[in-house]
Amino acid sequence: MNSWRQRIRPEQIRELSLVGLIVIALLVFGWQIENFLSARTFNRITTSVAIVGMVAIGQTLVVLTRNIDLSVGSIVGFTAYFVGAQLAANPTMPPAAAVALAVLVGGAMGLFNGVIVAYGRVPAIITTLGTLAIYRMLLINYANARTITVDSLPSWVVELSRQTLLTIGDFAVRPLFAITIIAVIVFQFVLGYTIFGRRLYAIGSNPEAARFAGLPVQQTVLAAFVLCGMLAGLAGFLFLSRFGNITAVAGQGIELESVAAVVVGGVNTFGGSGTVFGALLGAFLIDLLGQGLLRWLGISEFWRDALLGLLILLAVASDSVILGWLRRLWAAPAVRVEAGNER
Amino acid sequence: MNAKLRRLLSWEGLLLAILLVVATLNTNLAPAYLSLNNQINLFQLSIEKIMVALVMTFIIINGEIDLSVASIMGLAACVVAVLFEQGVPLVAAIVVALLAGLLCGAFNGFWVAYVGLPSLAVTLAGMIGFRGIARILIEDRSIGGFPAWFTTLGQQPLLGPFPFSLLLFGSLFALAFVILHYSGVGRLVYVVGHNAAVARYSGVDVPRLKLGLFCASGLIAALAGVLLAARLGAVRGNTADGFELDIITMVLLGGVSIFGGAGTLGGVGLSILLILNLRNGMSLMNVTGNVQTGVVGMLLILSVLLPNLAHVARDRWQRRAMQRKEVQASIETSASS
Amino acid sequence: MQTTPVLEMRDISRRFGNTQALDGVSLRLYPGEVHALLGENGAGKSTLIKIMTGVHQPDSGQILLDGKPARIGSTLEAQRLGIAAIYQEPLMYPDLNVAENIFVAHAGRRWLVDWGQMYRAAEAILAQLDVHLDVRQPARGLSVAAQQTVEIAKALSLQARVLIMDEPTAALSAHEVEQLFAIVRRLRAQGVAILFISHRLEEVFAIADRITVFRDGRLISSALRTEVTVEQAIRDMAGRSVEQLFPRRHTVRDEILVQVRNLGRQGVFQGISFDVRAGEVLGFAGLVGARRTDVGLALFGIAPADHGTITIAGQSVRITNPHQAMRFGIAYVSEDRRGLGLSLPMSIAANITLPTLQRYLNSLGLLRRRDEVATAEEFRQRLAIRAPSVDVAVGTLSGGNQQKVMLSKWLNTRPRLLILDEPTRGIDVGAKAEVHQMIDQLAAEGIAIILISSDLPEVLAMSDRVLVMREGRQMGIFARHEATQERVLAAAMGQSHTVGTTTAETIGSAS
Repeated sequence: MNSWRQRIRPEQIRELSLVGLIVIALLVFGWQIENFLSARTFNRITTSVAIVGMVAIGQTLVVLTRNIDLSVGSIVGFTAYFVGAQLAANPTMPPAAAVALAVLVGGAMGLFNGVIVAYGRVPAIITTLGTLAIYRMLLINYANARTITVDSLPSWVVELSRQTLLTIGDFAVRPLFAITIIAVIVFQFVLGYTIFGRRLYAIGSNPEAARFAGLPVQQTVLAAFVLCGMLAGLAGFLFLSRFGNITAVAGQGIELESVAAVVVGGVNTFGGSGTVFGALLGAFLIDLLGQGLLRWLGISEFWRDALLGLLILLAVASDSVILGWLRRLWAAPAVRVEAGNER
Repeated sequence: MNAKLRRLLSWEGLLLAILLVVATLNTNLAPAYLSLNNQINLFQLSIEKIMVALVMTFIIINGEIDLSVASIMGLAACVVAVLFEQGVPLVAAIVVALLAGLLCGAFNGFWVAYVGLPSLAVTLAGMIGFRGIARILIEDRSIGGFPAWFTTLGQQPLLGPFPFSLLLFGSLFALAFVILHYSGVGRLVYVVGHNAAVARYSGVDVPRLKLGLFCASGLIAALAGVLLAARLGAVRGNTADGFELDIITMVLLGGVSIFGGAGTLGGVGLSILLILNLRNGMSLMNVTGNVQTGVVGMLLILSVLLPNLAHVARDRWQRRAMQRKEVQASIETSASS
Repeated sequence: MQTTPVLEMRDISRRFGNTQALDGVSLRLYPGEVHALLGENGAGKSTLIKIMTGVHQPDSGQILLDGKPARIGSTLEAQRLGIAAIYQEPLMYPDLNVAENIFVAHAGRRWLVDWGQMYRAAEAILAQLDVHLDVRQPARGLSVAAQQTVEIAKALSLQARVLIMDEPTAALSAHEVEQLFAIVRRLRAQGVAILFISHRLEEVFAIADRITVFRDGRLISSALRTEVTVEQAIRDMAGRSVEQLFPRRHTVRDEILVQVRNLGRQGVFQGISFDVRAGEVLGFAGLVGARRTDVGLALFGIAPADHGTITIAGQSVRITNPHQAMRFGIAYVSEDRRGLGLSLPMSIAANITLPTLQRYLNSLGLLRRRDEVATAEEFRQRLAIRAPSVDVAVGTLSGGNQQKVMLSKWLNTRPRLLILDEPTRGIDVGAKAEVHQMIDQLAAEGIAIILISSDLPEVLAMSDRVLVMREGRQMGIFARHEATQERVLAAAMGQSHTVGTTTAETIGSAS
């Protein structure tokens, strides 16, 4: 008992159980639904997870520091439209420049959020609820009721999402999914192996101690928001590539899907624990359940949101109840005197 | 209290000054602007939001937040519409919708008050989930064709020039004002919002109060949703989508502290007037709805940012004054020795 | 000792409002020496620590590091100068593992974490302390002893030369204390200067090389351990100046109002048995960590007891929430005025009527402002609360007047048992005397009072009997004539041979 208890932590059990849930869901759906375990399902899920997953990486960074970013949906929409419009105007723009533009625009928007939260001390929920509206306003004004169409874009943009990088049997790995996977790996590394990443955990884990120890709390929170914006910008580019047709409502609701993925993926809403890999798993599970239940129960597309809300609540509740219980179980059984009121 | 009172007064004074400027500009743009009819019309266009802002004031003063109100409004509207479509008498449908709203509020309140989850997370889940239930009910249809008495429910002048919905808001505002500022419950809302531990150590049943507030929030949001359905004459899955932005902005701009424990309904009343007139003025200047929403978003951020910056500036000024005094003192002591 | 002290505090004074927390105190910490600091609560120990770690600045006096004048402007600066402190409840990052907790504060210029090297370094430091702790284990769930070890390791990794240990053993078991002492001895051998603060005399005498006693913000004595005895140390701590205290009249009635037997709460306190009679003041004495407040909270239902019995006026009761406690006539006046006792932005009147709000509502649930103000006015006059009106915010009042508002708030519930937790902490002498007079008067009116106080002369002067606690246990109950400062202190510090009183209560709980 003790030896494995030392190696596996409650947080890892949380992630493992997510994998378990995904496997169970796959088995049940595969058994109940004809042709569910097919390349088509795989491709469908990976393509839609690619965009939400990218946003969820950034959301993870922010949530780790006990904040939240509700403006990411608007950032995705704005960058998708903006970059689309630029590409339509200059079809010769090199791909790298287009991607850089998306990341830059997103980063600038994240910077605005971060400055107000970290230095203006406005709660993140208020700030990003405001910028959610502001960035959407910028987009609608900029778009002026026009639509970016597939035809107006250079062909490589849309081709990108339809190409196949490599195939294993019938399962094709699309570039969009590959980009997101690479980003997940990069940020899994950033969180696990860089001083910056560990500081995100330290700040979320105990902000009081972080300030007391002289960690650069404000700069780190600012950086998390900037990165979140940059990743949302990149996701905006993926969005453009996947859909090609972009209107002023592009990306609406992605903020909630990303929060859902992060929370279901085991990132603690009180900060300090969770991984981007978990967030990706969360996005995966949500999409899988969405697609599977729709087809299995024959219910409509409209069940998605209700399901999403329920999943978030279950995840938050189980985090506070079950994880607390696991941690108590894990705690050394030595005599412990509770922290008292007398000082 | 004095310093605090002065600060609040100055905040309210600021709101009043801006309101006067906005009203003057608007009158210049459109001479009929200040007419009673235009003002009534202006209220009617946002009547549902400002109704919910009243109860949101209680929730935020109490130190919580309810992000799910817009979804509850949408859900209530959908319940009315779908039941009506199924042939249920409209009055019964309205009652069911109100009950649904109450249930949603109780659901939020249970998790927040008795399980101890943060209201931010719970009502975010509610925001998505309740909207989801609405979508399940109505899918992508648009339901209308309500009887005339329902679609004119809000708008027909009932007493003099005042329509039912405005009278309803007026009485709700008066009721909320009396409860918040003159009743025992209102007193407890402030005490719990400022410091829940003090309330608990004084024998106050804090969870019951919080549950009650969330129930009220759900009920009023449902009522607002029904009125919205009546005014629009047709209900869709995205009815009332995004309303929480305006509602929360009205409350915070009114000087209610996001950290709880401070704020008045007077201030919220002023900020409601300000936002309505601002939106109306922007419409007069042909500013589109989404730009108006963006402006509201900026107001939301500024309403928290400005007091924070003022606070920081004052602290810095005080510290500098103190340092000057210290330097003075050290000069004096070194001179005397 | 011929070497220069690593850290020398010279003539340090510091005032907080009306209290002179430190008054011209000097102290030298030598490398390789364990220096114990003794003193009652409020003797000025924590203020000195806070000055050493840069939390507070002294009003006057000098700090010398290696013989050279130094300024410790912030906690970060203290860390850079090699001064580290370990507290009773360490500040940990629960989600990070042991090794990270040790190294996270390092202001490095590196970008990457070399986990392998960090684990090795952490293991090396822990090995240096001869501690076996899995460095990959998350800090959440570590025992307090292990957390302290991590903090010590952090201090060592930062090349700390001065280690301040503030009540490090308060939450440790006997075995863990032994392990901690082994570490302390090893650090001493490595030349670290250690300031050790503890209320456990036997520990102090087991580990310290030099013992210094503080009292009322002044240094009373400082000598090598070999030159002091336990008795002497207690005498130095106990000789507190007794201010003009209100003379207590004898008002104890025969009727036993509250009977508590074998009361306990898992992991907090146990075996508490006492009677309180109407008109009696029962003092609760003890040092930091004695858990007297927890007993009060159990009686008031905030953190209910899980075993034992409470009998009120002959009726056996179970108290699980404050509302219930108030129905039984129990009132608890918290020690934490600002955090738990008063709603600072609210008016005096609103604070006074908070627990009894029901009484001030009409049938519609609206406040009867006139009644509320009348009640508040009555208390303002009765307790001489100095405020322009009862409508001013409590936050604007002085500590003494805030205390009176808090007393009014609870007296208005018409309690039979009034639990006063540190009622005179942080208030000036005049207000203190008024509170004492009020206690005497309330007892005369027949209210039973439990007086929890760390001010020993106050407890002894105001109480009819004194219950002494130590680390969650009852050490004895002293009648008024038996309770001397030395005896009570000795009991509070666990010098059990001085406890000789057998009372009806202890017999009752034994049977």
